[in-house]
Amino acid sequence: MAPPNNQKRMKGIQVFRPFVFGSTAKLFDPITNPKPPGTPEDHTHSWTVFVKGVDDTDITYWCRKVQFKLHESIPNPLRTIENINPGTPFQVHETGWGEFEINIKLYYTPESLEKPQTFYHHLRLHPYGLTEAEKDAMKLLPAIVSHCYEEQLFNEPYEQFYNMLTSPVERGKGKGTKMMKGGMVGSSGERTALIPLTSRPDQPFSRETEKLEIKRLMEAKAKIQVMNASAQEELKAKEDELKRLKAELKGIVA
Amino acid sequence: MSSNDVRDMLDLPDSGSTRPAKKQKLTAPRPVLKGLAREIQNLSGDNPIAIVPEVSAFKKKRYGSRKPVAKWEQKPFKNSARDGDPLVLRHWRRKEEKPPAPPVGEDGNVEMEEAVAPIAEEMVEDSTFAKYNVRVNVPEYTEEEYNAKLQNQDWTKLETDHLVGLAYEYDLRWPVIWDRYEPPLPAPDSADSLLGLVLPPKIRTVEDLKARYYSVAATMMAERKPPIKMNSAEFNLHEVMSNFNPAIETARKKFAEAAFQRTKEEAREEESLLLELKRILARSDKLNEERRELYARLEAPPSTGNIGIYSSSQGLQQLLQQLMQASKKRKSLMGSEGISPAAGPSQQASFERRDSSVRESISGPSGSNNNKKGPPPGPSERRQLTEEEEKIYGVSHHERIGASGAAFRHEKISKPLISKSSVQQTKIANVLVELEIPNRLIMPTVEVGEAYESLLQSINTLLDARKLADKLDGEIKLARQQKEEREKAARLERGEAVEGDEVEGNNKTEKEKSVARSVRGGSVARSVRGGSQGHKRSASVLSATSEQNFQRSKEYRLRH
Repeated sequence: MAPPNNQKRMKGIQVFRPFVFGSTAKLFDPITNPKPPGTPEDHTHSWTVFVKGVDDTDITYWCRKVQFKLHESIPNPLRTIENINPGTPFQVHETGWGEFEINIKLYYTPESLEKPQTFYHHLRLHPYGLTEAEKDAMKLLPAIVSHCYEEQLFNEPYEQFYNMLTSPVERGKGKGTKMMKGGMVGSSGERTALIPLTSRPDQPFSRETEKLEIKRLMEAKAKIQVMNASAQEELKAKEDELKRLKAELKGIVA
Repeated sequence: MSSNDVRDMLDLPDSGSTRPAKKQKLTAPRPVLKGLAREIQNLSGDNPIAIVPEVSAFKKKRYGSRKPVAKWEQKPFKNSARDGDPLVLRHWRRKEEKPPAPPVGEDGNVEMEEAVAPIAEEMVEDSTFAKYNVRVNVPEYTEEEYNAKLQNQDWTKLETDHLVGLAYEYDLRWPVIWDRYEPPLPAPDSADSLLGLVLPPKIRTVEDLKARYYSVAATMMAERKPPIKMNSAEFNLHEVMSNFNPAIETARKKFAEAAFQRTKEEAREEESLLLELKRILARSDKLNEERRELYARLEAPPSTGNIGIYSSSQGLQQLLQQLMQASKKRKSLMGSEGISPAAGPSQQASFERRDSSVRESISGPSGSNNNKKGPPPGPSERRQLTEEEEKIYGVSHHERIGASGAAFRHEKISKPLISKSSVQQTKIANVLVELEIPNRLIMPTVEVGEAYESLLQSINTLLDARKLADKLDGEIKLARQQKEEREKAARLERGEAVEGDEVEGNNKTEKEKSVARSVRGGSVARSVRGGSQGHKRSASVLSATSEQNFQRSKEYRLRH
């Protein structure tokens, strides 16, 4: 690999790649999810923490390995996953009884010349949500799922890496290319930053979801603006009153 | 190895037969036993191995363990799939005393026969085939649901009911449903008959019926269970039903019919035409490739370098070599990737030779016409992406990026929130909770980020307005108090002179001053509001002076 000073960063350019991380937890059950032999007595759940592409696309061309830092009480808490098959998640399976923060560190491909970056994921084993209704709804599901969408930004990437990110995957190496399932439009193989147009049950992140979120934010903003307008009116009324009082005060003084 | 050798080894007395004699015997044809290794056969020597295949054992055993003949009887049965039909038929079953009969019996020996003798009801068992009588699940809807979700200009509720009924009755066999479909006439009190018009029943095709049924079914399915919670089988069914397009279906049938009706000659002609098309396409592909190459050559920018060095014959020789190298390189480039080789090879070739100062002068112009933003990108040519490609690859251009390197979008979006004071943060968080906006954005994309930012901004405006309102409240309160005091004082003055008059007067002026100041402070706050969001919350009006100072310093900083 060429030494870093041989390459230039692409000024003013930002490239992003979407990915999904999160955890899926299942309660042990004699029938549906039996305890594997050797599991400690007090463990109540089996869980998986993962980092993968949206719609199971390949991310290995920019993400070389992922390090999951689990709780210290778990034997061998630093788990490093690399050399996975493209299109499969970087993941760790474990069993346990408690929730904790998982420190996830992404290592990029050597071409990127970028330092590894860290983010956190809170392992969810129990139903969660803002309201009781949400929690109750989650209780009915077969597994507690906490998936998050995230976008990896490469600010001013190095040229070589930029070229890698912006050229289609080389085809014809005998491996058939996988078609995207979510109605994706794109002819550039799997190295895209596009996300599916519609959501499917196990792929909740899509343009559709994005639109919904924007709509929700906009509705919230509209609400705030209504409140703002009334607040401004109130302000005005108060200012007027103050002015009047001042004038009266002056009148008394004078 | 023969038996002799074995005897020899084990020190056994010789059997008497001599070697030559045995040799003769060996050559004589021997009964060949199949299934034995040659070596083992040889071990036995002259006497054949006594292996007698037991042929008759199996048969004998079978005769030995013979059981009495299985007894069969005619048993009555009914079929619950017959919708309450009391018909009772009989079939041959094994008698009960024995362990349960093999299942072959019931399949092979079912004989439908009219029941003759009356049989006690509890004896009659259900047919094993009744379970295969599965009814389709047709959508069910109530009156309100129909009015809310399933209204359709083309279909009345009566017709829809009729259709769903038929679909249930004929198990979604569409040709049959289409054949039996006879829309019920509208009730006499409906609007149509009031007008005195009896509309002829609409003629509907199979596709019309299907489209209506699928839309109803898909809507009700989504109504019962939101698509996001369905399992994948349900979801696929829902997708298929909601994407049904009658026009495409009709076209497909027409096409299939046409394909079915065509003659042999037509089929042959079509085949030859398809072949021709393939050939034409292949040729045009080749032509395009050539044209692209040609354009690539034409696009190569004219060299602005010094041509003086080529004037000598030695220089020309060098040029020729370069060109040869370049064309080799071009070939390999064209083969591997679609990177436009514009200016690539020829320049690269020259870079190899020229010193760095010349390189700079050449890369300048080529960089400027290939690159809209940023400084020229060094010697290696930057691939120019179309807008569409930029979208596919998630490339965006920014005036300035805070820090180069890898980062996460969500962090970036939530940065403006985190950089605030904790008091401010909790306030904003409270508002967000009130608005039911989750802590972590579900989809931190560019657009969501923008929406989030504008939401935060308006929240900030609101918080500022509220703060200002609080402050004004305080001032109003103060002003009222002052007024009351003044009035009291005035009354006192008018009534009788008070000795503490002078002191109070001093007080008044001071208070007045502070009010005036705080008003000024307020107006400053208003003017700066929006841009700056970091002012401390002033607990009371009396701290207005300090706030004013703060504002002033801020203003000062803003100005300079």
